[in-house]
Amino acid sequence: MGGLRGKALILGHLAMILACLIILAPFAWIIMNSAKQQIDIYEGTLQFTPTWRNYERLLFSKQSNFIRNVANSALVATASTLAVMAVGTLTAYALTRYAWGRRFRVGAWLKAALLGWILLFHMIPAITLVGPWYLIFRELGLYNNLLGLVLTHITLNLPMATWLMMSFIQDVPRELEDAAWIDGCRRVGAFLRVILPVIVPGLVATGVLSFIFSWNEFSVALNLTASPTATIPVAISNFAQQYEIQYGEMAAGTVLATVPAILLMFAGQRFIVRGLMLGAFK
Amino acid sequence: MAPAAGTREAAGPARSLADLLDATFQYWALVPALLILLALTLYPMLSILRMAVSTIDFAQGQFLWTFTGLQNWRSFVEDWLFRIALKNTLIFVIVAVTIEMLLGLSLALLACQIQMGKGIYRTIMVLPILVPAVAIGCMWRLMYNYDFGIFNQALVALGLTPLAWLADPRLAMASVILVDIWHWVPFVFLILLAGLEALPVEALEAANVDGANGWQRLRYVILPMIGPTLSVVVMFRTIFAFKVFDEIFLLTSGGPGTATEVVSLYIYKVFFAENRLGYGALLAILTILTICAFVGTYRWTRLGRRDPWAG
Amino acid sequence: MCSKRKLLCVLGLLSVWAVLALPRGTPIALAAAQPAKPAKDLFLDVGKHPPITMLINQSPWYGGFEKVVKLYEEQTGNTLNLDVSPYAGMLEKARNAARGKESPFDWVNIDTQNTVEFYLGGFLSPLKEIDSGFQLDPQVSTYDDCLFWNERTQWRDRNGVLMGLPVQGNVNLYYYRTDLFERAGLKVPETWDEVAAAAEKLGKGGELYGFVVRGERGNAIRFDWMSYMLGAGASIEKDAPNGDFTVTVNSPPAKRALDFYLSLAKRFGPPNSGAIGQNDLIQLITTGKALQLNMVAAAWPNMDNPERSRVVGKVNVALIPRPADGVFATPIGNWVSGIPKNIPLERKRAALAFMRWFLTFEAQYKFAEFGGIPPVRMDVFDSDLATRPQFRWMAAYKKSLPYAKQLLGYKEGAQVEAVLGLRLNQALVGELSSAKALNLAAEDIYKAFQQGGRKTGLLPKLPE
Repeated sequence: MGGLRGKALILGHLAMILACLIILAPFAWIIMNSAKQQIDIYEGTLQFTPTWRNYERLLFSKQSNFIRNVANSALVATASTLAVMAVGTLTAYALTRYAWGRRFRVGAWLKAALLGWILLFHMIPAITLVGPWYLIFRELGLYNNLLGLVLTHITLNLPMATWLMMSFIQDVPRELEDAAWIDGCRRVGAFLRVILPVIVPGLVATGVLSFIFSWNEFSVALNLTASPTATIPVAISNFAQQYEIQYGEMAAGTVLATVPAILLMFAGQRFIVRGLMLGAFK
Repeated sequence: MAPAAGTREAAGPARSLADLLDATFQYWALVPALLILLALTLYPMLSILRMAVSTIDFAQGQFLWTFTGLQNWRSFVEDWLFRIALKNTLIFVIVAVTIEMLLGLSLALLACQIQMGKGIYRTIMVLPILVPAVAIGCMWRLMYNYDFGIFNQALVALGLTPLAWLADPRLAMASVILVDIWHWVPFVFLILLAGLEALPVEALEAANVDGANGWQRLRYVILPMIGPTLSVVVMFRTIFAFKVFDEIFLLTSGGPGTATEVVSLYIYKVFFAENRLGYGALLAILTILTICAFVGTYRWTRLGRRDPWAG
Repeated sequence: MCSKRKLLCVLGLLSVWAVLALPRGTPIALAAAQPAKPAKDLFLDVGKHPPITMLINQSPWYGGFEKVVKLYEEQTGNTLNLDVSPYAGMLEKARNAARGKESPFDWVNIDTQNTVEFYLGGFLSPLKEIDSGFQLDPQVSTYDDCLFWNERTQWRDRNGVLMGLPVQGNVNLYYYRTDLFERAGLKVPETWDEVAAAAEKLGKGGELYGFVVRGERGNAIRFDWMSYMLGAGASIEKDAPNGDFTVTVNSPPAKRALDFYLSLAKRFGPPNSGAIGQNDLIQLITTGKALQLNMVAAAWPNMDNPERSRVVGKVNVALIPRPADGVFATPIGNWVSGIPKNIPLERKRAALAFMRWFLTFEAQYKFAEFGGIPPVRMDVFDSDLATRPQFRWMAAYKKSLPYAKQLLGYKEGAQVEAVLGLRLNQALVGELSSAKALNLAAEDIYKAFQQGGRKTGLLPKLPE
């Protein structure tokens, strides 16, 4: 897209900065809270004596397993994102780039049914799925097992990934692919060498979102894990207790949970962009 | 012209198998998704359907399914609170999603025209969706606190009266919507930015050459081109908004009165707190149907018709 | 466990009980009448058992419990794993575990209002089936008999079978600022009028709320209003233990209780009473902005902790005041531990062995000392712990127990709570008058009882 010039550019930057400030203000609040004593948090003062006790209790107390929880979250989120992106993009490509229903009438029905089914499934609140899934995974021996959690996250994020990738692939004009086809590429080749590099921004966005949704997923993780396999949202909600909320520890947990997520996303983005861009220049 | 490496002519006897796979690519590309869906979604969905027409009790440690047909439906017809929950949820969805789409689109349009600092903006904008919903609910509850919250402290510093953000029935829904907007505008922003960045430059330049000004370019060239992405974002944002739970649970528990009672809170109460599994399953199905109707009506609008389903 | 050891254990328990139950005046009883302190190494020997897992939630008393468990592991060499779950997920995890093929947990902790669901569903093993000689020590409070399940009357009463053991007890207590009361020369209120008078005299508008109610919709306001309702002599059902579920929540005494509750909130409370939860109560009293309020005993650890309170040493608790012509009453909100049916017998025995150890005086003393508030044995409240300043809440807690009641102990309990939690909150925020709120609540509760097939009826409506 064309760039903004002069006055419009300055106004544009100002607007973005304003938006970023609004986004960041509550984060500044959280970071402050993570260094405050409980009574200072309650009083909401801006002047206080900072303390590291919240982080101490979060990381080193016997009751808390936070580092392990971060590792669990990282593993589950990374694995499920890679799988969801692979499956979702494949499915999206198959569904958009082929004319379903041309050779067999049933093809059109199959496409509509598949898309409809995953959308319908996506509308169900995750908490109602937990009961049946718990029974299935207990049978398979995958309760309290990160693999089981990864499988459920793949299932939960597949609808959004598929639909999003479908819209991004649709945006790519057919001429590009036809040119590659004429050059002698096979479908798979055309997919890998022509389409993928063009939809990199879409891939990155969808990947980031799948990662984040898996990172933050709560209801299923709560019921399919026990202490050793708990993920970050479960760990953080330990601080929302029956009689009160431990705001300090929760804030510290949020801060510590956000940092690895950002790092992983940064690394992931660069990896995807670089890897696919290289492929495009073949 | 010599055959390019990896093309049909270059391959030898393995040609036919590779060709076969290539010709049927569209089918086996679907296999992974079908496997996952069959394994993990069939049983839960059928389970919910079965529950909706049964009453489930427990005795001697076992499930007791009794087919009771339309009894759950009768409970629904008499249930005035669920209707209020539906109404509140619809208001929440319409207001929140509209504002989020407008803000997200504006920010995305701005961001994709800025070269310097785009990466930083994108990283900062992603932060709210990184925070677990539990933490968001608790954090905003503190900020909305009447006596010590930051909003009231600011109001008092400006000489205004403090507001009961979560206790005033007229304000509570607005407060909750504000939290949702803060939480989800980044989602819209991220996807739309990706869609805008992927637009081919030639079409835009052609519009410039044709003498179109900024607004016309936006309305007749850019928006139609990102139509599919826009409609997918609206659809998914709507579905998420219908399912909103954690924030409202922590902020208001559906109160004060019934001001912020939403469907997912109500289903949670029926299904989990009251252990009425059959009725809860029926409510879940009715909610799904409502969402379908909502999304379906949306599809018939101008924007909606350009979506992936139509192909 | 072999029968010789079992016999020794029972004898040990019996002797402890005998010593403490002897009439005052006998030499042994005199010795026992000194505030007791646990003799070293006199903990119960329960023998060797396979490792077990307990489902428990993070809470203020969890720290104390964890230390006591460590003590158990050191003393007996048995292993007890604690699976810590957020409070939000406890019930669902317990349910899934009990309903599945084999529970991963050997002890599940259940909130008192959910125990009926587990008893009715037959998910727990009656303790006598695991060990026919098991006796509950009389010093252990049964919290209004919520540990028993009577299949015939479908009620939690003494004539039933012992299904679970208390791991922690909890009632609502009246918290107040001792420094402000002393300075004004006021005595600790015992009646509603005295509470209102104190609030009137000492309250200072937005600076110091004379009385704060826990008015948030749902369990918060329902639980908070119970002592007012019971104190005025009203009830939700007419005679539920004997099967009469006539709805009596819209009676004149109940209206009186609700009117007083609303007037307290309106005259002395903050403008956002309708959104005040337990956490907000703690916040208001520890920041020094509340003069009096009713709160659970388990919230005590916040009061004297300088990291969490500006009023260290300035708060105390007492019995919840009653109307001048009414009775003392307070609701119970405790945790019950049960053993799921779907686990092998050795693990059940191991689980029971731990609880046997946990319910001894020595273990309970340590539990309280480590921060387990409140312990479940009455003799701990008579021990030297109660003389220490940081345990000054024990006297009021012990005094409250005879007046403590379990409520909503039936299948429709959660529905009734949802109805009351909504209607009371609507009355508090001004959407409904007190009479209309109670009338509407009565109708919805009546419908719920009808659906449950109970013998029920309605009172004549209150004039609106």
